[in-house]
Amino acid sequence: MNEPSEPSEPSGASSTAAILDIDGLVVRYGARTAVDGVTLRIDRGEIFGLLGPNGAGKTSTLSAIEGLVKPSSGTVLVDGVDIQRDPLAAKARLGVQLQASSFQAELTIDQIVRLYAGLYGLPIGPAEIADRIRGIGLGDELGKRFKSLSGGQQQRLSLLIAVIHQPVLLLLDEPTSGLDPQSRRQLWDRIERLRTDGGSILLTTHSMEEAQAVCDRVAIIDHGTLVTLDTPAGLIARHRDDPRVTRVARGEVTLEDVFIGLTGSEIRD
Amino acid sequence: MTDSSARLAAGSVHPSTGLIFRSLFRADFTVLLRNARTLILNIALPILILVITGLHGGSARAGFTGSVFDIALALTYGLMSSSLIGYSLTVARDRDAGVFQRLRVTPAPTWAIMTSRLLVQIVLDIIMTVIVVALGVITRHLDLTVAQVLLLGCVSIAGGAMFLAIAQAIVGLVRSAAVVNALGRVFYVVFLLLGLLGSSGLLGSTVHAISNWSPVGAMINLYGGVLELGSWDWTDTTGLIATAGYIVVGAFIGIRWFRWDSR
Repeated sequence: MNEPSEPSEPSGASSTAAILDIDGLVVRYGARTAVDGVTLRIDRGEIFGLLGPNGAGKTSTLSAIEGLVKPSSGTVLVDGVDIQRDPLAAKARLGVQLQASSFQAELTIDQIVRLYAGLYGLPIGPAEIADRIRGIGLGDELGKRFKSLSGGQQQRLSLLIAVIHQPVLLLLDEPTSGLDPQSRRQLWDRIERLRTDGGSILLTTHSMEEAQAVCDRVAIIDHGTLVTLDTPAGLIARHRDDPRVTRVARGEVTLEDVFIGLTGSEIRD
Repeated sequence: MTDSSARLAAGSVHPSTGLIFRSLFRADFTVLLRNARTLILNIALPILILVITGLHGGSARAGFTGSVFDIALALTYGLMSSSLIGYSLTVARDRDAGVFQRLRVTPAPTWAIMTSRLLVQIVLDIIMTVIVVALGVITRHLDLTVAQVLLLGCVSIAGGAMFLAIAQAIVGLVRSAAVVNALGRVFYVVFLLLGLLGSSGLLGSTVHAISNWSPVGAMINLYGGVLELGSWDWTDTTGLIATAGYIVVGAFIGIRWFRWDSR
C-alpha cells in the first residue's frame, strides 16, 4: 500500500477554463429517462445554479457528476478528468454535500472529520481537526455525535467535510433546504467565500431567492432536459415577454415567474 | 502560489489506499465498539452460554464430549449472532440513512468501504474466540496444543466469513432495513434450531444429516473436529465443504445484488 498521499498528474486533466464539462448526459433508471441529453459547462470560479421542479433530473445530474450513477451515455469531465474512466481521481477533485447529510451515528464530530480527512488523503492531527471544527463555530460540540447537532450545525459540519480537501468543484444538493433564515444567510456567505478562495460551485435549489442571491448563472431543467440557461438577470430579460411567463407573472417579472412559466404550474411529487 | 493554484494543487492530491483503508477501519471499529448490541451478541452471549452450560455439567451430544460441544456451540452462537443480527441490520440502516452514498462520493474505492466493515467483524470474531477458548481452557480444563489454538482461529475466520456472507446475501436481496431485521432473526432461529435439534438426533437421521450441512451444524462439527483433532472424520470434512459453499454462494449473491442506495 502506498504511504502518504502524493500529488498526482490527472489523467486527461485539462488546462481549459471549464472546471466541469458535461456533454450529452443521459441517465436512465430502467425504462425511465431521468436526464436526457444535458450539456453544460461551468467555468472556474463560477457559482452555477441548477433549478427544476421535483423529479426534473437535478439530483440525477448531480449523481452522475458524483459518480453515484452510471450514465447511459454522454461524458462528465471534472477539471478535465473523466468520472467514468478515472472515478477516484475525479472524486478527489470534487467536494460534495448531499441532500441528506448522513454520517455514522456512533461517531463524534471530530471522528467524522478525521475519517473524511483520511479519505481525501489529508493525515491531519487532532489539533488541526479541532481548529477546523472551531472555525465553523462548533468548538464546544467537538465530542458530540452528529445526530445531537441542530440542523444548522449539521449543515455547517457537512460543508466543512465537503471542502476539507479544497476541492476545485463543490456540489451542493439543496444546501439550504430546512434551514432558518439566519443559517441560510450564513451558508450563502460561506459559499461566497469559497468562490473568493478560487473554488467553483454547482448547487441545486428550489429557492429562486437563493439562485438570484448567489448564482452567477442558472439553468432550468425539466423532464431531464435543459430548458434555458443564463445569468438570473439574463433569464428574466430573455423570457420577460414569453406568453407562458407573462401569464403567471404578478406584476414585475421575477425569476420565479420565469421558472413557473417554463416548467408549468402543476405540482410535482 | 495564488489561492487558486493552491486549491488546484490540493484538489489533485490522490489519496493513498493505505490511508483510506486505515481511516475507514478506525471509524468502523469505533462504531462497532460503541454498538452495545453487537458487543452483547458477539462476546457476552457466548460467555453466558459457556457459564450456563458449565453449571449443568456440560451438554454432551453424539460424537462430542460435553465441554467440546459447549465451546463449539458458544463460538458458533457468537459468530452467527453478530453477523445475522448485528452486521446485516447495521448495513441496512446505514444504507437507508445514506451513509454509504456519503462515503461513495469520496475517493474511497467501494471495495475498501465494504471490506473495512467485514474486516472489523472478523477481528471481533477472533477476539471472541480467544476469550471463549481461554475461558474454556480455564473452566473446563481443556488441554489444547498450539496447532489447535491456531486452527480454532482459522475456523472462526471461516465461520465468521460464512455468516457474514449469508448476512451480505440478505442485505443484497432485501432493501428494507425492517425486512432485513426480521429476516435476520428468522434465519437466526431456523439455523439454531436446525443445528441444535438436528445434531441431537431427536428428529431422526435425515434431519441429523441435513443439520450437518446447515451453517450451525457445520460450524459445531468444525469446532468439534479441531477441539478433538484426533477423531477428525467425514462429518467434520462436510462441515468444511459446507462452510466454503456458503461463503461462495453468499458472497456471490451479496455482491452481485447489493445496492448502495435503498431507494
